[in-house]
Amino acid sequence: MRFFSFHLMPYPALPQDYDGPAWVTCPNAFFDPAVGTQVYNRYIDELVAAEDLGFDGVCVNEHHQNAYGIMPSPNLIASILARLTSRVRIAVVGNALPLYDPPTRVAEEFAMIDNISGGRLIAGFVVGGGPEYYSFSINPAHARERFQEAHDVIMKAWTEDGPSEFIGRHYRLRFVNTWPKPVQKPHPEVWIPGAGSLETMEFVARHHYAYMGIPYFHIDVFDRQFRLFREACEKEGYTYDPAQAGWLTPIYVAETDEQARREFEEHWWYFVKRLLPGIDIQPPGYTTLRSIENIMKGRGTFALNLDTWEQTVEGQYAIVGSPETVYEQLEANLTRLGTGNLLGLFQLGTLPADATRRNLELFAREVMPRLRQRFPEGQPMLARSAA
Amino acid sequence: MTAVSAELLPTRVGKVQVRRGGTGSPLVYLHSAMGEGEGLALFDALAGSFALVAPVFPGFGESEGIEQIDDMEDATFHLLDVLDTLGLDAPAVVGTSLGGWMAAELATRYPDRVGRLVLVNPAGLYIQGAEIKDIFGRGPDEMAEDLFADQSQPMAVMMKAFAQMDQADVTFEMVAPQYQMLAAVARLGWDPYLHDPKLRKRLHRVTAPTLVVRGAQDTLIPAAHAETYVSEIPGARLETVEGAAHLLPIEKPAELAALVGSFCA
Repeated sequence: MRFFSFHLMPYPALPQDYDGPAWVTCPNAFFDPAVGTQVYNRYIDELVAAEDLGFDGVCVNEHHQNAYGIMPSPNLIASILARLTSRVRIAVVGNALPLYDPPTRVAEEFAMIDNISGGRLIAGFVVGGGPEYYSFSINPAHARERFQEAHDVIMKAWTEDGPSEFIGRHYRLRFVNTWPKPVQKPHPEVWIPGAGSLETMEFVARHHYAYMGIPYFHIDVFDRQFRLFREACEKEGYTYDPAQAGWLTPIYVAETDEQARREFEEHWWYFVKRLLPGIDIQPPGYTTLRSIENIMKGRGTFALNLDTWEQTVEGQYAIVGSPETVYEQLEANLTRLGTGNLLGLFQLGTLPADATRRNLELFAREVMPRLRQRFPEGQPMLARSAA
Repeated sequence: MTAVSAELLPTRVGKVQVRRGGTGSPLVYLHSAMGEGEGLALFDALAGSFALVAPVFPGFGESEGIEQIDDMEDATFHLLDVLDTLGLDAPAVVGTSLGGWMAAELATRYPDRVGRLVLVNPAGLYIQGAEIKDIFGRGPDEMAEDLFADQSQPMAVMMKAFAQMDQADVTFEMVAPQYQMLAAVARLGWDPYLHDPKLRKRLHRVTAPTLVVRGAQDTLIPAAHAETYVSEIPGARLETVEGAAHLLPIEKPAELAALVGSFCA
């Protein structure tokens, strides 16, 4: 098992009386640079702390024109992390490829981070969330095609010696010859996050990359998603490696179950009720009809529909409690899902710095070592019956 | 009443559904982004005086091949193929909204292929300060306000009822056709948004007698669009229909059929 600390870098100061979406049209007059200056630096500190606490890696991601995560350029943050850390893997999960034109930009920036960090980059590629297609006016009907083509451009830039030519439907590059090239050969480990799109799973399986399940669904939805991913690998003629799957989930640990809920709950609701609204917008043509059908199977259980703490606990939308409770729930779920990477969100919504710090420390001291012992790296994860 | 029936026509991009009915001089109807056609009273009225031909655009109904159409230019050439296959040399062309835009593209590129041109609440232009309202991110309840002057129209009632449904009760079968239609429209009109920046400067090339029809209560596409078409197309004139919003062909079929009938006769 590998452990990662994932940060969304939320905007924690939306006005009390604003109840609109946090995406696309959320007025940027709400953004206070004084808050920005403070939280960016604090959030970077929280990611850096993960190294000293014994995590295997840290994760950042890309979203635009929203209050949910103020990290339009995760590569900027990742390059700071590359310099401030010396051991952890730095996972950028990921760059939204169709938004980069030409996509050689991603090949260049990722290679820079891989060089600065001495080969510690995990390269994440994403299609981009539905809201991004509104915020960038990029045609969602071309999203999948652009993603595939951009991926091919990046791999060509990384694995072949240039200069060479790439002439596609969406990108026409007469000179592909990126400087620098990545340290890791043939290329950095690739992670692809997905929310149930079958095309994404098949793409990941075909290339032997790793599939990261996007959170905020009922735990049963993940069960189904990772089963579909394992089946996609079987169809490609191989058995998935647990290192090829990652489960991303909010985690909060305190001394007791009661204390954990008391400290965490209001921040959870800020996240669910203030930052999630608008994330689920599905631009037309963004995904195929058969994937819409698959995604809709989990839709009714998306966290936006939550109203009570009991529902949150029942569906395990967040793993919250004493070290014992958190260990038990994670152990059970990891056994069931068969994922060899655990990506924890240890800060969420308005969760303040001191609580985030205590959460990270308690998890690293009381939970992580037991899980490491239970799930040694390189071992099969699933109970025989589930596999 | 003359029967209108659908058949499948082979084209380069795949089989395309075409609704046909009536006899007389040929009249082609190009539907809007709402895909109107099934059981449309307007068709029955038009089939009384014309040989009506209403191709269903790929991505709508049973028409195939949308993945081979990237933009409005491809769509226009697809339409040209359909006209050729049907042996229509210079029919009257009536287009609503998206279909109006497509008709205008055809009439600027191939003026001799359009005998008469009727544009009903046409999209296709960008006019600063009079932008077309969003169709891709708004709910059906909001859309209904722009599409219908009369909110008791059965389709308006249905759209509002759908918006009020519990998300968990919405099935795949309910959303699939709408999703497919909008996905097809996105290919043509996501960016640039429902317009072709080059269309306006080409409108002077239209040679067909042209009628622009506007629903007086259309709040989706402001009046400036119809007015611009009229001022840029040589000899074009404007008719305004009261009691109709954007989906004029559904709200005022008899009035539209009468206008088309006298103009294209």
